[in-house]
Order: sequence, then C-alpha cells, then structure tokens
Amino acid sequence: MNRSSGLLSPRGQVLMFAALALLAFTAFPFAWMASTALKPSREIFVTPPTLWPTHVTLDNLSRLFAETRFLTYFRNSLTVSFATVGLTLLVSVPAAYGLTRFRFHGRETVAGLILFTYMFAPIMIIIPFYVAMRFLGLANTHLGLILAYTAFCLPFSLWLLRTFFQSIPLEIEEAARIDGSRLQAVIHVVLPLALPGVVATGTFTFILAWNDYIFARVLLSADEMKTLPVGIADLYNASVVDWGMIMAAGVLVIAPVAAVFVFIQRFLVAGWGSGGVKG
Amino acid sequence: MHMSRMVALATALTVGIAAPALAQDKLVRVWHTETEPQTIKAFNDLARRFEAKNPGIKIEAEGLAWTDLEGKIMASLAAGSPPELSHGQPITCTALQSKDLLNPLDEVVKAIGEDNIWEQVKRVCNVGGKQFGLVHAAGTSLLIYRKDMADKAGLKPPKTWNDFLANAKALTQSTKGDGKIDIYGITLPGDNLFINILMGELIKSNGGALFDKNNKPLFTDQKMIEVLEFWRELVKYAPPGWEGDGYLQTFQNLYGQKAAMMFQGYGRGAGLIEKFAPKEKANDKTFDVWSKPVGPSGKEPGVQVDEEPWMLFKDAKHQKEAIEFLKFFYQDDNYLEYVSTVPIHLFPITKSLRASPKYQNLEMIQRWKGWIEVQQGYLDKDQGKPTLVVDWSDMTEKPYLLEVLGSGIVRDMVMDVVLEKWEPKRAADKAQRRLEDLLRSKGYLKG
Amino acid sequence: MPSANSELFRLPEAAVGILLILPAILLLLSLTLYPVLYGVWISFFNKHSFFPQQTFIGFDNYISLLRDPEFWASVWRGTVYALSTIALQIILGVAAALLLNEVFPGRNILRGIVIFPYVVPTVVAVIIWKWLLNSQFGLVNYLIEKAGLVDQPISFMGKDWIMVSLIIVSVWQFFPFVVIGVLARLQTIPDELYDAAKVDGGNAWQRFVYVTLPQLKSVLFVIVLLRSIWMFTKFDTPWLMIQGGGAETYIRTLPIYTYMRTFAYYEAGLGSAMAVVMFLALAGAAVLYFRIWRREENL
Repeated sequence: MNRSSGLLSPRGQVLMFAALALLAFTAFPFAWMASTALKPSREIFVTPPTLWPTHVTLDNLSRLFAETRFLTYFRNSLTVSFATVGLTLLVSVPAAYGLTRFRFHGRETVAGLILFTYMFAPIMIIIPFYVAMRFLGLANTHLGLILAYTAFCLPFSLWLLRTFFQSIPLEIEEAARIDGSRLQAVIHVVLPLALPGVVATGTFTFILAWNDYIFARVLLSADEMKTLPVGIADLYNASVVDWGMIMAAGVLVIAPVAAVFVFIQRFLVAGWGSGGVKG
Repeated sequence: MHMSRMVALATALTVGIAAPALAQDKLVRVWHTETEPQTIKAFNDLARRFEAKNPGIKIEAEGLAWTDLEGKIMASLAAGSPPELSHGQPITCTALQSKDLLNPLDEVVKAIGEDNIWEQVKRVCNVGGKQFGLVHAAGTSLLIYRKDMADKAGLKPPKTWNDFLANAKALTQSTKGDGKIDIYGITLPGDNLFINILMGELIKSNGGALFDKNNKPLFTDQKMIEVLEFWRELVKYAPPGWEGDGYLQTFQNLYGQKAAMMFQGYGRGAGLIEKFAPKEKANDKTFDVWSKPVGPSGKEPGVQVDEEPWMLFKDAKHQKEAIEFLKFFYQDDNYLEYVSTVPIHLFPITKSLRASPKYQNLEMIQRWKGWIEVQQGYLDKDQGKPTLVVDWSDMTEKPYLLEVLGSGIVRDMVMDVVLEKWEPKRAADKAQRRLEDLLRSKGYLKG
Repeated sequence: MPSANSELFRLPEAAVGILLILPAILLLLSLTLYPVLYGVWISFFNKHSFFPQQTFIGFDNYISLLRDPEFWASVWRGTVYALSTIALQIILGVAAALLLNEVFPGRNILRGIVIFPYVVPTVVAVIIWKWLLNSQFGLVNYLIEKAGLVDQPISFMGKDWIMVSLIIVSVWQFFPFVVIGVLARLQTIPDELYDAAKVDGGNAWQRFVYVTLPQLKSVLFVIVLLRSIWMFTKFDTPWLMIQGGGAETYIRTLPIYTYMRTFAYYEAGLGSAMAVVMFLALAGAAVLYFRIWRREENL
C-alpha cells in the first residue's frame, strides 16, 4: 500500500530528486550507448566527446546487419531462452506444487539441498558438462544449451514457486475439489491464482538464459548457432573495437526486451511477493 | 499461457532444435581466430562454395577470440572430439604436436607447391621435416608513429633504444600549450599475451635468449636486466593507466590521437586508421612505420610475426575432408578473398598470390606500400619469429613455451618493475625462481 | 496444514508428491551430479588441461594450493569483491525499493527502467561501462574533469581503480534483483502497522527500523543468501572486464584464478581442487547461515 504525498511539499521534492537520481544511475549508461550508436565512426573518438551526435547516422545499424549475423544470433537467443523457460516451468511447477501440498519425509531437506548446486563454480562444471553433452550427441546443439540453463535455473525457480504456492490458501483449493477432480481444481483454480508467480519465475529464468555467456561459448561451435552474448563478445574482441557497431547491437538487444519489461514489472514484483516470501 | 500450450511449445522447440544435428553430412569443424566481421563473412562464404563443390561435406566454422579458444580446445580434447581444424599459436602447435595430438599437413603443402610457400612460414611448427602447422597468413609487428608530429619535431628514425626513448619524450606533448599533456609518446599494452610478445621481441633485439639449451631460464642475465630497464623508461611516456589497456585499446589511443607511437602495432592498424582517424589524417603521410630499434647489447632488430598455423587434430573424424578444405582455402582466388579482408595484416603465405597483380593492385596495398615493405624486409632478413620464439630451434625443442606464456610469470616480472617500482634485478630473480619451479614441476628442468 | 480435510492430502498421496518432484530432481541430478563428481575426482590427479594423461597424486593439489600465496590473494580479492558488492546492492536496492513504493508521477515507468540493467546481457553491460569509463575517450572522465573534480583523467581500468570499476559495474547490474524482491514484500506490509507507529510518534527513520525492516527480514534472508552464492562464484563480469585489458592481476578473484589455473596454466587438477575448496567454504557458510537464521526465527 502506498501513501501519497503532495508534489510541492518538501517530502515530494525529496522524492522527485531521489527518483531523478535513480533514473540517472540506471538509464544514463543506456542513453550514452544510444548516442554512440548513432554517431559516425570518426565522431566517436573526438575530444571533447559530443553528448549527442552532430551527424546522426544509421550507418552503424546497417553495417551490423550487413556484416554480422546479428539477426541469427537474436533468433538463437530467443529460441534458447523461451525453450528454457518452457522446460523449466514444465518441470518446476509440478515440483513446487508437490513440495508445498504433499507431506513426505525429507521435504524441507530437498528444498535446502537444491541450493547447494549453485555453489560449485559453473566454470568448473562446464568441461565435464561438455563431455557429457558430447556423449549424448548434444554438443553444439541448442538443446544441450537449454538443458544446461534449465539445470542452472531449476533451484531458483523451485524456491520462488514454492513460496508462491504456499501463499495460496488450501481452503480455496479444497472448495474447488468438491465439484471435481483434483487435477481440475489445480488447472482451474490454483494455476490462475499462481499465474503472477509463474510469470515471474518464467521471467527470471528467461533473464538467466538470455544473459549467459560462458556455457554458450563452450558448448556451441558454429557461427550460425551463437547466441547474442557470444556474438556480441566476438564483435567486441574482433581485433577492432568498433564502438558504434557494438553500441548499435546493444541498443537492439535492449529495446525489445525493455519494452516488454515496462509492462511485465508488476508481475515480477507480484511474483516475489503477495505474501510469497513469508514474513 | 495455458499449461498444455506451453508443453506443446516446449516439445516443438526441443524437437525442432535437435533435428539439424542428425544430418548425415560429413562434418568438418573449423575454429579460427580472425574475428573481424568482414573476415568471418569471407570465410563463411568460402566454406559455402566449398560445400557446393563437394556435396556430402559440411563445414562448420566458428570465429572466436584467442582467449576463448583455449577453453574450447581443452573441452573438446577432454571429450575426445576436437575439431578437425583450428588456429592456434605456433607454440600451442608445438605443444600439441609434442603429445602426438596432431596430424601433418604435408599433403596441403604439396598441393600448394612446396616452393610456392615462403621459407619463413615453413619453419613454423615443422617437426622432423613434417609440417604440423600451416600458417593461415602472416603479419609482422610494426613500430607505427605519427609522421606529421615527428617531422615537425625534426625527429630521426631511432636506431637504438636510447634514440627511441628520446623520440618518445619529444612526442609527449601538450598540443594546446596549457602544460597539460594531451598526447603521449607511446601507447603500450598491459595484457599478458602482448607483454609476452614484446618480451620475446626485446630480448631478441638485445641479443639475448629466454632459456638455454638445458632449459634453464636466463632471466637474471644482464641482457634481461637491460630489457627491464628499457621498459621502465618507456612507461614514463605512456598514458597513465596504460596497464589497463589491451591490444585493442592501444590502437584506439593511436588513431584517437592520444598517443604518437605504437611499438607493438600491426598492419591491421591501417584499416582501423582509415575507419576511425579524422579524414585528413587517415593516411600514411600521418601514420608511418619506422624500423624497430636495437638494444644496447644487440645487433639487429627483432619483431614478432603474427602467424597462427592451421592444426589438424588427430582424433577428429574427417581428416581427408579437412585436408581438401585447406587445399581449397589456399587456392589463389579463394585465398585472395580471405586475405583481402585485412590486406595489410594478413600477408599471404603463397608466393604466387603475393606476386599476382590481383593482390598487388588491391587498393589498400597501394595506399600503404611503406607498411608492406617494412614487413617484407623483416621477413626477408629472418628478423621475425613467433611469440616467445627467439631462435627457430625453440620451436621444436621448447614445448613448454605455452605454459610459460600462460603462467603470466613474464607479465608479473614486468609489472613488478614498471608498476610496483621493484629493482629489475629483484623482479628478475623472482621470475627466475618461479620459472625454474614451473619447468621442474613439468619435468623439463632437472635438478 | 490444519483442518480435518487435510487428512485427504496425506499418506496415500505422499507418493504423488514425490512423483511430482521426481522429474525436477532427476533433471537436476543428471545434469549437475556428473560434472561435480568429475570435478572432485580430477582434483586428486595431476592432469594437464590439454593432454589425456593423468596421474593420481592424492591430496597434493590441495596442499600446493594452500601453500600458494596467489591462491590466498585471490581469496582475499574475491571476498572484497563479493562482500562490497553484496552490501552495496542491498543498500541501494532497499533504498530504491522504498522510493518506488511511494506515489509519484512516472513511478511505473521508473519501475520498469530500474530493472533494465539486470536484463541486459552481462557482455553488453560490461562493454557499456568500459566505454563510459575509458581513461582516454570516456564520458565519465570528461564530465568529472570538466566539473573540476579532477585534474588528470582517472585510469578506471588501471591498477588502482580496476576493482572499484568492477564493483560499480556489478552493483549497477545486480541491484535491480534486490529491488524486485524487496518491492514485492513492501507492497504486502499492512498500512495499519505504519499508522500505529505514527501514533507512537516515530519519525521516518524509526518507522523504517521498527516497522519496515522486521517485515523485510525474511525476504532479505533469501536475497542475501542467493546473491552471496552468486557473487562469490561470479565469473563472467570480472572475466569480461579484464578480457583484452591489462590490469587483470588486480581483480583476479577466486573464480578467475580457478579459470586461469585450468585454462592458462593448463593444470586441470589444481583448478578443480580450487573449485572444491570454494564449494566447501560456501556450503559451510550456508549451513551456518541457515542455523543462525533458524535461531533468529525461533526467538
């Protein structure tokens, strides 16, 4: 719940000042990125730097599309991230439900132990993981990558979903069961109630998969398979720091995702909370 | 989204993604480290043309940075599934060859014509008369300087390290005249690989060596001390915080006009200058190259040759197909397409292409002739060697140079002197001790 | 679970519960168990990273590790990095969440924007900041020099500042995670609690300490736990920060050193031993953390 306050009151002024500071800290780097993306190559190294390009150009963008496989990378990243979200939810929603609605021996221990998988440095897991994927014929496939990300996302997803299911009163579910089977109760009553939590979990999963660099680097070995982080890192290390092109890539990576996130943030917040992580 | 739909989606995606892996083509995996976008594109085009001519073979190419390549080679060897072909440092090639992990590329050499390949290149990773690594293209390091500034200051080409320091001092300037330095004499890299490269060059041009015949490190030698003293003087004319610069940033400082000389430059710089320097300065009248100076105990300059060889992994499945691909790669027209993506840096290894008018008439070659001539001079006089190789015999007799490079001991020694202000003697003693331990633990040094 | 009805959910269905959890557990185990066990196994061998040969050497890797001054230096650097970023993330994240829980124009858009840094691939985040902080061409240096704060540009990627730069980038990138979690919890704190505090005459700070903070305790417990694990094992941010740069020695944290030992020194066995040591330390700390938490909760 929020308490409103007048804009002109001293309290309101402090609020606005803090909001602007927060905005500057988070958004300023992006603004500079956008500005650089729109500059011609020669203007990028001018001293003193121009805050906004004197000659706005889309040259960096067109070079990005002409010289690199940016769109392929983008599509790969989307595929891998969405598939990871799908698989993770598919496995973790029933598991989280099971962890909250059924009593069995060692239930709490399972929840605690799951987190320990995060403590082994991922870089050391990668080599044997690659060996295993090779053995299964999944090296250099997106499926291998999806499995890796799912493994990495599962513990956190379970934790998040578990706290969320805990917040749905048992009575509602029981009432629904009077009219039908348990499965129907879950599908028609529990899941809709849990939707914000599921969306939030899906989003966090998406972010983890979308961000990863190191697994994609080692597991994939073909230009057309690369995901965005790897593709962009290679652009950066391409014996040329083509800042304009890299920043253009950055803008394109962020723009669509950012648009989605402005809308999805209420779910994210709801997913964590609504009494989710209980106090 | 409904659960059922989500299941359907996940299943569809999973199946769709797994399918391409089942293709029946003979797969040739190729890893290379030329990651400029135009080179990646040219390489992939070349691969598609090869596939069109050779049905049933599929080339799977990936361009990636050297720092990432090590991890990938390692993972693939651990899984027993290395790629067919990969770039690598010359010293990586020798290390892998010493463990019998590579197959020779003599058949490719024969197809190109043995006499058609430069002598210098044939000495890279050549063991027992067999060519275990075949260089994809070679370019020597270059001392790039601001000709306009040097002319204005009346500077002469430096013959010795002292001349060079004097020039660096003269080129460290406050161009606005407000006493605040805004252009530094030299831009230097601080990263491990390039410090090792520079060390190899400097010890060579000071008439020294890194290891003796019995693999004993020679780091406490007077010649090494002189190198460290030179380095200590050099950094005085580098921009503050230079140690944070990698290879790419040092170029940036040059064409962004924050530094007037680059000791560890390469032909690649010509393309960068054309793209990023102000238009009126983007030419060889402003950015020219000097021959490198010689140390107090040395007789001739030493430079590094960036010449990564192709390696053919023994455990890879499709040996024959890989060899066919390399033959195709070195055919004049295909090879020209590849080297012309970075013409001043990717020097072709075949004499036929070097001499061909098609190559000679490339516009960039015309524009940067001086840069090409200096490189050619180094190669003709055999003054260029791969990273950390001082004498050609090191190539085969010192398979541990890769570990020396990776250990960062050389970098630590240089940093101890130039940043932590240790006396060169003390830093060299420490490095000597660490190297002896390293080589002893690997079984190369007895006693 | 109270009420008589819950009997229906009990014994016969324990099996159903286990069945529901099984796929998740199996997937997790099959994907992580082998790699972890392999890592532990290989830590007892002298194994070159490239070459297939390996010799069993017992605890030698562990012994040489504990004697390696660079190992301890990297533990120290990693601890400095993790603790300072965690503390700053929490402080900044809680502050931002408190702000975003107030009503002001543009609040919803700002809530969206604040999440951006967390959504950006690490590669992009690091590249943006490297460009901003560049000592010769960077905007930050230009601005602070123009404002008269410094005489000479600061070498943000040089030896003295690289750790600070890394911390700034990491905090920027990860504080939104804290914002999301805390903001969610804040929205569920009943207004009555605040009203009661107001009647008691508490000022804003006292209300925060006595009303808000206790309510945030449990969510902060989870956040601190997760962020600690992730910051201590953080690899990609520092790695991408130093890639191609020179001052790597000064931010060589334990995960980075583990990587170096494996991929640059080619000592796969020793690298694994380092990962095992880190795992044991983290697991021990986590167990302790859980214990302390439980005691707190029971009070």
